[in-house]
Amino acid sequence: MQVALQILLTALQIGAIYVLFSLGLTLIFGVMRVVNFAHGQFFTLAALLVAVLDPWLATKGFDGPLAYLVSVLAGIAASVALGAVVYRFGFRRFQRDLTGSFILSVGLVLLCEGAFLDLFGGAVRVVPPIVRGDVQLIGVTIAAQRLVLAGVAIAATAVLYWILATTRFGKAMRAVAIDHEAALLQGIPCERIAFQGFLIATTLGAIAGAIIAPISAVTPVLGADYLVKGFIAVIIGGLGSVPGAILGSLFIALIESAGGFFFDPSIANMAIFVLVMIVLMVRPKGLLGHG
Amino acid sequence: MSYLQRSIERGPLAFGLCALMVCVSPAVANETIKLGLSVPLSGAAANWGKGGEWLCKQAAQEIAKGGGVKVAGKVYDFECVAYDNKYNAADGTKVAQTLLTRDNVKFIGGSLGTAPVRALQSMSERDGVLLFTTAWGKAIKGPKFPLTFTQMNTVYEISKPLLGFVKQSNPNVKTVALLNPNDATGQDVEAADRANWEALGVKVVSSDWYERGTTEFQPIAAKIAALRPDAVDLGAAPPPDAGFVFKELKALSWNGVKVITVGSGAEGVLATGQDAADGTYMGAAMTFDSPATSAKQKSLNDGVKTATGESVNAIQIGFYDSVYALKAAMEKAQSVEPKQVAAALPTVTFDGFYGKSAFGGVAMYGSPQQILVPVIVSQLKGGKLAELQRIAPDEMKGR
Repeated sequence: MQVALQILLTALQIGAIYVLFSLGLTLIFGVMRVVNFAHGQFFTLAALLVAVLDPWLATKGFDGPLAYLVSVLAGIAASVALGAVVYRFGFRRFQRDLTGSFILSVGLVLLCEGAFLDLFGGAVRVVPPIVRGDVQLIGVTIAAQRLVLAGVAIAATAVLYWILATTRFGKAMRAVAIDHEAALLQGIPCERIAFQGFLIATTLGAIAGAIIAPISAVTPVLGADYLVKGFIAVIIGGLGSVPGAILGSLFIALIESAGGFFFDPSIANMAIFVLVMIVLMVRPKGLLGHG
Repeated sequence: MSYLQRSIERGPLAFGLCALMVCVSPAVANETIKLGLSVPLSGAAANWGKGGEWLCKQAAQEIAKGGGVKVAGKVYDFECVAYDNKYNAADGTKVAQTLLTRDNVKFIGGSLGTAPVRALQSMSERDGVLLFTTAWGKAIKGPKFPLTFTQMNTVYEISKPLLGFVKQSNPNVKTVALLNPNDATGQDVEAADRANWEALGVKVVSSDWYERGTTEFQPIAAKIAALRPDAVDLGAAPPPDAGFVFKELKALSWNGVKVITVGSGAEGVLATGQDAADGTYMGAAMTFDSPATSAKQKSLNDGVKTATGESVNAIQIGFYDSVYALKAAMEKAQSVEPKQVAAALPTVTFDGFYGKSAFGGVAMYGSPQQILVPVIVSQLKGGKLAELQRIAPDEMKGR
C-alpha cells in the first residue's frame, strides 16, 4: 500500500508538469492545426531565465520567494514575447499547414538551442530551493518544494480549464478548434483567437519551465526531454483534445513512476514508446481524439 | 634618362630597402600543430568539456611561452580546437568527421565520453591520428589500438582502492545499490564496481540505468530507498545528476553511505544535492586547500574556476597533461608524425599537473597506454571536499 501511494504521488507530481506542457502543445494544434516542436524552447527560456535571475536577485537583497517570483514573471514575460515574435513572423503564415509548420518549428528548435547555448552557456544551472523540508502525506514523505510546485501546476491547469469551459473567449477558441470555417461564418475572429491561443500555450509552457527550474538541472537542452514526453502525451490523449492531454500526461507520468520503481528509468522510457505505438495501432486518433 | 639607366641607379636603393624590411620584420612564426578536442560543451557534463578545453589551451600557451616544441630544427606551437560531442555517439561521429576530415588534425589532445570516443577512435586509428582520451573502456585500449592513450585514471585504477577505502571506513556496509547512466561509460563503471563490491563481500541489491538528460530522478530514488541498501554507488553519474539522486533519497528518509566512484566535480554534486550530498565519497575529485597543493595546481584551479565556475577535476586535468606528454614525446622522437610520437610516448616522463608523470599499464591493458597519476580518495564534509588518501601508482616508482 505504501509503495502504491508513493508511486501514485510521484506520478502526480511529475504529471502536473507534463500536463501544463502538453496542454500548450494541444492548444496550439487545436486552434492552428500545427504541431509546434519549438514549444520546448519557451519552456527552456523561462527555466533558464529563472536559473539566471533568481540567484542574481538573491545577491541584490531580494529574499528567496520574492526573488523566485520576480524571476518567474520575467521568465514568463520573455517567453511570451518570444512566442509573439515567433507567431507574428512565422506560425501565422503556416496555419493549417503541417509540413510548413513542421519545418519552421524544427528550424526554430535549432536556432533557439544555439542561441541559448551562446547566451547562457552549456553548463548546468541550479536554482536555490524556494521551500525547504519534507512533508508527510498519507504516510508518504515528499519534498515540500515539489508539493508546492505541483500545486501551482494544478492550479494553472484548473484556471485554463475554467477559461476554456466558461468564458466567451474560451468558447470561441473551442469553436475554432472544432470547426475553423464554421467559426469564421459565425463571425469569430479566427486570426485573433489563433494568436491569443498561441500566447496562452506559450504561457503554459513558460509556467511549466519556471516551475521545474528549482527541482531540475537547468540547461539549454532541458526542453528536449519534456517535448518528447509532452508530444507522446498529446498523441496518446488525442491531438487537440484538452482532457486527452491531461489524461495522456498523467498516464505517462504513471508509467515513468511505476516503471522507474519496479524496473529502471531506461526501461520506463522504453515502455512509454511501446505504449504510444500500441495506442496508435488501436486508436490512431488517440484515446480522446476525434479530429 | 633611359629606363635601363634609372633601374641601374635605383637598384641599390631598392635592395637596401628590401634588406631593411627583412631586418625589421618579426621573426618567422612558429609552425602550428592543431590538437582536436571532442568534448561535451552542453548538457550535464558541459563543465568537464569547458574545463578540459581551457586546460588544453593553457598548456599550449605555457609551452609556447617556454619556447615551443623543438623538433628537427623547427619550432612548433599547439592550438586546441574543441567541438561539442554532447556526450553521445551520434554527435561524437559528427565531431570526429569535422576534426579528421575538415580540420585535418593529426593529434586529438583529449576526448570525453566512451560512446563518442568509440566513434572517434574508429576513424583515428584508421587515419593514423594519435588519440588521447578520458574514456576508460578496456575495449578501446591494447595492442589493437596503438595510437590510443588514456589521459586520466580510469575506473580500473580508481574503483578498487576507493571502494576498499569505503568498506574499511564503513565496515557495516553489507549491501549496495548501483545506478549508472545507460551508455558505454556507465556500463564499464558498473562492471568494475560490481566486481569490486562483491570482492569486498558487499551484496549488490540492485543495479539500474538511466538515460543521460533524464530530468526526473524521483521514481528511481523511491525504488532504491525501498530496498534500504547500506550504500548507494552512483558510479559514472555526472555531478548534478548525482546530487539530485541523493537529494531525492534524503527526502525519502534514506541515509546510508554515498559513493560516486568516478565522481569528479564536488561543486556540481553540492549545487544540486546540497546537504543531502554530505559524506559522499568520490574517486576522481581534487581538493586544493591541502598543504601538498602546488602553486601551479592552485593557479590552474583558479583558471578553471573562472572558466567554468567549478574547481578543476581529474577528467579535465588529462587535457593539460596530454599536451605536455605530446611535447615530451615529439622532442624525444624528433618527429611530429603521429606513429613515431606514439612509439615514443611510453618511453618519456613529463612534468604534468600532478608532477612527474608517464604512461604504462601493460599488465592491465596489454600495452603501455594508460597515464600513471595518483588516485585521490576524497569525501564531501560540511559542504567542502576533503582529501582522505592519495595512492601513487606502483609503476611510477621505477620511472
